[in-house]
Amino acid sequence: MIVCVAVVGHQNNPLYIQSFTDADDALKLHHIVHCSLDVVDERVNNPKKSGPTLNETFLGLLYPTENYKVYGYLTNTKVKFILVTTDLDVRDADVRNFFRRFHAAYVDAVSNPFHVPGKKITSRTFAERVSTIVKSFGLSSAG
Amino acid sequence: MGREVSESCIDSLLTEMVSTYCNRFYANKPELAARRIEAIGYQVGHQLSERYTMERPRFSDHLEAIKFICKDFWSELFKKQIDNLKTNHRGTFVLQDNHFRWLTRMSIDQSPENGASEEPSIMADNKAVQSMHLYFPCGIIRGALSNLGIPCAVSADISNLPACSFVVRIKA
Repeated sequence: MIVCVAVVGHQNNPLYIQSFTDADDALKLHHIVHCSLDVVDERVNNPKKSGPTLNETFLGLLYPTENYKVYGYLTNTKVKFILVTTDLDVRDADVRNFFRRFHAAYVDAVSNPFHVPGKKITSRTFAERVSTIVKSFGLSSAG
Repeated sequence: MGREVSESCIDSLLTEMVSTYCNRFYANKPELAARRIEAIGYQVGHQLSERYTMERPRFSDHLEAIKFICKDFWSELFKKQIDNLKTNHRGTFVLQDNHFRWLTRMSIDQSPENGASEEPSIMADNKAVQSMHLYFPCGIIRGALSNLGIPCAVSADISNLPACSFVVRIKA
Protein backbone atom coordinates (compact mmCIF):
# COMPACT_ATOMS: atom_id res chain seq x y z
CA MET A 1 0.00 0.00 0.00
CA ILE A 2 1.34 3.36 -0.94
CA VAL A 3 1.59 5.66 2.02
CA CYS A 4 3.09 8.74 0.46
CA VAL A 5 3.96 10.30 -2.89
CA ALA A 6 5.98 13.44 -3.36
CA VAL A 7 7.11 15.72 -6.16
CA VAL A 8 10.29 17.65 -5.48
CA GLY A 9 11.61 20.38 -7.74
CA HIS A 10 15.09 20.76 -9.05
CA GLN A 11 16.17 22.93 -6.16
CA ASN A 12 14.89 20.29 -3.76
CA ASN A 13 11.83 22.40 -3.04
CA PRO A 14 8.66 20.40 -2.40
CA LEU A 15 6.02 20.82 -5.07
CA TYR A 16 3.53 18.25 -3.93
CA ILE A 17 3.42 15.93 -0.92
CA GLN A 18 0.45 13.71 -0.23
CA SER A 19 0.16 10.94 2.31
CA PHE A 20 -2.51 8.30 1.93
CA THR A 21 -2.71 6.88 5.38
CA ASP A 22 -3.98 8.21 8.69
CA ALA A 23 -2.16 5.62 10.69
CA ASP A 24 1.30 7.03 10.41
CA ASP A 25 2.65 10.38 11.27
CA ALA A 26 2.65 12.63 8.24
CA LEU A 27 5.76 14.35 9.52
CA LYS A 28 7.66 11.09 9.62
CA LEU A 29 6.74 10.46 6.02
CA HIS A 30 7.90 13.91 5.03
CA HIS A 31 11.16 13.22 6.80
CA ILE A 32 11.61 9.96 4.90
CA VAL A 33 11.01 11.79 1.63
CA HIS A 34 13.53 14.43 2.61
CA CYS A 35 16.20 11.86 3.42
CA SER A 36 15.63 10.08 0.16
CA LEU A 37 16.60 13.23 -1.74
CA ASP A 38 20.18 12.70 -0.62
CA VAL A 39 20.12 9.21 -2.04
CA VAL A 40 18.81 10.54 -5.33
CA ASP A 41 21.62 13.07 -5.53
CA GLU A 42 24.16 10.40 -4.73
CA ARG A 43 22.83 8.11 -7.42
CA VAL A 44 22.93 10.83 -10.01
CA ASN A 45 26.34 12.22 -9.19
CA ASN A 46 28.18 8.94 -8.80
CA PRO A 47 28.39 7.35 -12.21
CA LYS A 48 30.54 4.46 -11.02
CA LYS A 49 28.03 3.31 -8.45
CA SER A 50 24.95 3.56 -10.62
CA GLY A 51 26.44 1.58 -13.46
CA PRO A 52 24.52 1.12 -16.69
CA THR A 53 21.39 2.91 -15.53
CA LEU A 54 23.00 6.32 -15.36
CA ASN A 55 20.63 8.10 -17.67
CA GLU A 56 17.44 6.29 -16.90
CA THR A 57 14.60 8.18 -15.38
CA PHE A 58 13.55 5.38 -13.04
CA LEU A 59 16.03 5.15 -10.17
CA GLY A 60 14.60 2.09 -8.51
CA LEU A 61 14.59 1.26 -4.83
CA LEU A 62 16.39 4.08 -3.08
CA TYR A 63 16.61 2.60 0.37
CA PRO A 64 14.52 0.43 2.66
CA THR A 65 13.69 1.59 6.17
CA GLU A 66 12.18 -0.53 8.91
CA ASN A 67 8.64 -0.50 7.53
CA TYR A 68 8.85 1.21 4.19
CA LYS A 69 10.38 1.01 0.78
CA VAL A 70 11.23 4.22 -1.04
CA TYR A 71 11.37 4.42 -4.82
CA GLY A 72 12.69 7.32 -6.84
CA TYR A 73 12.26 8.71 -10.35
CA LEU A 74 14.13 11.63 -11.85
CA THR A 75 12.88 13.46 -14.92
CA ASN A 76 14.90 15.24 -17.55
CA THR A 77 13.99 18.53 -15.97
CA LYS A 78 15.52 17.46 -12.65
CA VAL A 79 12.14 17.00 -10.99
CA LYS A 80 12.08 14.09 -8.56
CA PHE A 81 9.16 11.82 -7.81
CA ILE A 82 9.36 9.89 -4.54
CA LEU A 83 7.13 6.96 -3.69
CA VAL A 84 6.91 5.47 -0.20
CA THR A 85 5.18 2.14 0.14
CA THR A 86 4.65 -0.47 2.82
CA ASP A 87 4.28 -3.39 0.43
CA LEU A 88 6.75 -6.16 0.99
CA ASP A 89 6.62 -7.64 -2.49
CA VAL A 90 6.47 -4.91 -5.05
CA ARG A 91 7.08 -5.73 -8.68
CA ASP A 92 9.46 -3.48 -10.57
CA ALA A 93 7.07 -3.26 -13.49
CA ASP A 94 4.29 -2.00 -11.26
CA VAL A 95 6.42 0.79 -9.86
CA ARG A 96 7.60 1.80 -13.32
CA ASN A 97 4.02 1.84 -14.53
CA PHE A 98 3.03 3.93 -11.55
CA PHE A 99 5.74 6.49 -12.24
CA ARG A 100 4.83 6.65 -15.90
CA ARG A 101 1.23 7.54 -15.11
CA PHE A 102 2.33 9.88 -12.36
CA HIS A 103 4.67 11.65 -14.78
CA ALA A 104 1.83 12.11 -17.25
CA ALA A 105 -0.37 13.63 -14.55
CA TYR A 106 2.48 15.88 -13.46
CA VAL A 107 3.10 17.12 -17.01
CA ASP A 108 -0.57 17.93 -17.42
CA ALA A 109 -0.60 19.81 -14.12
CA VAL A 110 2.49 21.83 -15.02
CA SER A 111 1.14 22.70 -18.47
CA ASN A 112 -1.57 24.70 -16.77
CA PRO A 113 -0.86 28.32 -17.76
CA PHE A 114 -1.87 29.47 -14.30
CA HIS A 115 0.67 27.27 -12.61
CA VAL A 116 3.79 29.12 -11.56
CA PRO A 117 6.88 26.95 -12.03
CA GLY A 118 8.56 26.40 -8.69
CA LYS A 119 5.44 26.90 -6.66
CA LYS A 120 3.35 24.11 -5.17
CA ILE A 121 0.91 22.29 -7.39
CA THR A 122 -2.55 23.28 -6.23
CA SER A 123 -4.62 21.67 -8.93
CA ARG A 124 -7.50 19.60 -7.64
CA THR A 125 -7.55 17.61 -10.87
CA PHE A 126 -3.97 16.60 -10.28
CA ALA A 127 -4.77 15.49 -6.73
CA GLU A 128 -7.69 13.41 -7.97
CA ARG A 129 -5.64 11.80 -10.72
CA VAL A 130 -2.89 10.98 -8.27
CA SER A 131 -5.28 9.34 -5.84
CA THR A 132 -6.77 7.31 -8.71
CA ILE A 133 -3.32 6.13 -9.73
CA VAL A 134 -2.43 5.30 -6.13
CA LYS A 135 -5.61 3.27 -5.66
CA SER A 136 -5.07 1.29 -8.84
CA PHE A 137 -1.48 0.57 -7.85
CA GLY A 138 -2.71 -1.31 -4.84
CA LEU A 139 -5.18 -3.34 -6.92
CA SER A 140 -2.80 -4.37 -9.68
CA SER A 141 -0.11 -5.67 -7.35
CA ALA A 142 -2.56 -7.57 -5.18
CA GLY A 143 -3.26 -10.14 -7.89
CA MET B 1 -6.19 12.50 -25.83
CA GLY B 2 -5.93 16.13 -26.86
CA ARG B 3 -8.23 18.11 -29.03
CA GLU B 4 -6.61 19.60 -32.08
CA VAL B 5 -6.52 23.12 -33.40
CA SER B 6 -5.94 24.11 -37.00
CA GLU B 7 -2.58 25.62 -37.76
CA SER B 8 -4.06 28.81 -39.14
CA CYS B 9 -5.37 29.53 -35.64
CA ILE B 10 -1.84 29.36 -34.28
CA ASP B 11 -0.58 31.61 -37.08
CA SER B 12 -3.32 34.15 -36.42
CA LEU B 13 -2.75 34.02 -32.67
CA LEU B 14 0.97 34.63 -33.02
CA THR B 15 0.53 37.43 -35.51
CA GLU B 16 -2.06 39.07 -33.32
CA MET B 17 0.08 38.68 -30.22
CA VAL B 18 3.06 40.39 -31.82
CA SER B 19 0.88 43.11 -33.29
CA THR B 20 -0.93 43.77 -30.01
CA TYR B 21 2.20 43.94 -27.93
CA CYS B 22 3.98 46.15 -30.42
CA ASN B 23 1.20 48.48 -31.36
CA ARG B 24 -1.12 48.61 -28.37
CA PHE B 25 0.49 47.56 -25.12
CA TYR B 26 3.96 48.95 -25.56
CA ALA B 27 3.34 51.24 -28.48
CA ASN B 28 6.57 53.20 -28.45
CA LYS B 29 8.75 50.83 -26.50
CA PRO B 30 9.78 48.01 -28.80
CA GLU B 31 12.36 46.69 -26.34
CA LEU B 32 9.73 46.18 -23.66
CA ALA B 33 7.37 44.54 -26.13
CA ALA B 34 10.17 42.25 -27.26
CA ARG B 35 10.97 41.30 -23.66
CA ARG B 36 7.33 40.52 -22.88
CA ILE B 37 6.92 38.39 -25.99
CA GLU B 38 10.13 36.56 -25.18
CA ALA B 39 8.92 35.96 -21.63
CA ILE B 40 5.71 34.40 -22.93
CA GLY B 41 7.84 32.17 -25.13
CA TYR B 42 9.98 31.29 -22.12
CA GLN B 43 7.01 29.96 -20.16
CA VAL B 44 5.67 28.05 -23.17
CA GLY B 45 9.08 26.50 -23.82
CA HIS B 46 9.40 25.59 -20.15
CA GLN B 47 6.11 23.70 -20.16
CA LEU B 48 6.61 22.12 -23.59
CA SER B 49 10.02 20.75 -22.65
CA GLU B 50 8.41 19.11 -19.63
CA ARG B 51 5.96 17.35 -21.92
CA TYR B 52 8.30 16.35 -24.73
CA THR B 53 11.03 14.92 -22.52
CA MET B 54 8.59 12.64 -20.78
CA GLU B 55 9.49 9.27 -22.20
CA ARG B 56 13.16 9.90 -22.79
CA PRO B 57 16.19 8.97 -20.74
CA ARG B 58 18.12 11.84 -19.24
CA PHE B 59 20.63 13.84 -21.24
CA SER B 60 24.27 13.38 -20.42
CA ASP B 61 25.59 16.71 -21.64
CA HIS B 62 24.72 20.01 -23.29
CA LEU B 63 25.17 18.69 -26.80
CA GLU B 64 22.58 15.98 -26.24
CA ALA B 65 20.09 18.53 -25.02
CA ILE B 66 20.72 20.79 -28.02
CA LYS B 67 20.32 17.81 -30.33
CA PHE B 68 17.05 17.02 -28.64
CA ILE B 69 15.91 20.58 -29.36
CA CYS B 70 17.00 20.26 -32.97
CA LYS B 71 15.32 16.95 -33.62
CA ASP B 72 12.45 15.88 -31.38
CA PHE B 73 11.42 19.23 -29.99
CA TRP B 74 11.50 20.96 -33.37
CA SER B 75 9.58 18.10 -35.02
CA GLU B 76 6.87 18.31 -32.39
CA LEU B 77 6.53 22.04 -32.86
CA PHE B 78 7.17 22.53 -36.55
CA LYS B 79 6.85 19.04 -38.08
CA LYS B 80 10.44 19.16 -39.29
CA GLN B 81 13.91 19.09 -37.81
CA ILE B 82 16.54 21.78 -37.71
CA ASP B 83 18.43 21.65 -40.99
CA ASN B 84 21.85 22.64 -39.80
CA LEU B 85 23.56 22.76 -36.43
CA LYS B 86 26.88 24.49 -35.96
CA THR B 87 28.92 24.95 -32.84
CA ASN B 88 32.17 26.52 -31.83
CA HIS B 89 32.57 23.95 -29.07
CA ARG B 90 32.79 26.78 -26.59
CA GLY B 91 29.16 27.13 -25.68
CA THR B 92 27.73 28.76 -28.81
CA PHE B 93 25.36 26.86 -31.10
CA VAL B 94 23.74 28.04 -34.30
CA LEU B 95 20.49 26.27 -35.24
CA GLN B 96 19.51 26.93 -38.81
CA ASP B 97 16.06 26.25 -40.15
CA ASN B 98 15.86 26.68 -43.90
CA HIS B 99 12.13 27.16 -44.01
CA PHE B 100 10.90 28.40 -40.67
CA ARG B 101 7.24 27.52 -40.44
CA TRP B 102 6.03 30.61 -38.64
CA LEU B 103 7.62 32.92 -41.19
CA THR B 104 6.24 31.22 -44.29
CA ARG B 105 3.20 33.45 -44.32
CA MET B 106 5.26 36.59 -44.05
CA SER B 107 5.89 38.47 -47.26
CA ILE B 108 9.41 39.31 -48.23
CA ASP B 109 8.74 42.65 -49.76
CA GLN B 110 11.67 43.08 -52.08
CA SER B 111 10.42 45.38 -54.80
CA PRO B 112 8.23 48.44 -54.21
CA GLU B 113 5.42 49.32 -56.58
CA ASN B 114 6.85 52.29 -58.35
CA GLY B 115 10.05 50.55 -59.32
CA ALA B 116 12.35 52.95 -57.54
CA SER B 117 14.99 51.48 -55.28
CA GLU B 118 13.63 50.74 -51.87
CA GLU B 119 14.35 53.28 -49.17
CA PRO B 120 16.61 52.03 -46.42
CA SER B 121 14.14 53.15 -43.77
CA ILE B 122 11.38 50.99 -45.20
CA MET B 123 13.70 48.03 -45.34
CA ALA B 124 14.75 48.65 -41.77
CA ASP B 125 11.10 48.75 -40.69
CA ASN B 126 10.41 45.46 -42.41
CA LYS B 127 13.35 43.89 -40.69
CA ALA B 128 12.22 45.24 -37.33
CA VAL B 129 8.74 43.79 -37.75
CA GLN B 130 10.09 40.46 -38.88
CA SER B 131 12.49 40.27 -35.97
CA MET B 132 9.62 40.97 -33.55
CA HIS B 133 8.00 37.77 -34.70
CA LEU B 134 11.10 35.83 -33.82
CA TYR B 135 11.23 36.76 -30.15
CA PHE B 136 8.58 34.18 -29.36
CA PRO B 137 10.47 31.17 -30.79
CA CYS B 138 13.66 32.48 -29.19
CA GLY B 139 11.84 32.47 -25.88
CA ILE B 140 10.58 28.96 -26.48
CA ILE B 141 14.12 27.69 -27.06
CA ARG B 142 15.43 29.54 -24.01
CA GLY B 143 12.61 28.21 -21.82
CA ALA B 144 13.12 24.64 -22.98
CA LEU B 145 16.87 24.73 -22.41
CA SER B 146 16.51 26.39 -19.00
CA ASN B 147 14.16 23.66 -17.90
CA LEU B 148 16.77 21.11 -18.95
CA GLY B 149 19.26 22.86 -16.71
CA ILE B 150 21.09 24.91 -19.34
CA PRO B 151 20.84 28.68 -18.80
CA CYS B 152 21.42 30.45 -22.08
CA ALA B 153 20.66 33.44 -24.25
CA VAL B 154 18.96 32.96 -27.61
CA SER B 155 18.84 35.41 -30.49
CA ALA B 156 17.59 35.10 -34.04
CA ASP B 157 19.19 36.03 -37.30
CA ILE B 158 17.09 36.62 -40.39
CA SER B 159 19.56 37.77 -42.94
CA ASN B 160 18.11 35.51 -45.60
CA LEU B 161 14.45 34.64 -45.38
CA PRO B 162 12.73 32.16 -45.30
CA ALA B 163 15.74 30.57 -43.65
CA CYS B 164 16.42 31.72 -40.16
CA SER B 165 19.10 30.94 -37.62
CA PHE B 166 18.85 30.84 -33.86
CA VAL B 167 22.05 31.53 -31.98
CA VAL B 168 22.20 29.90 -28.57
CA ARG B 169 24.88 31.11 -26.19
CA ILE B 170 25.21 28.97 -23.10
CA LYS B 171 26.04 30.93 -19.98
CA ALA B 172 29.16 29.52 -18.43
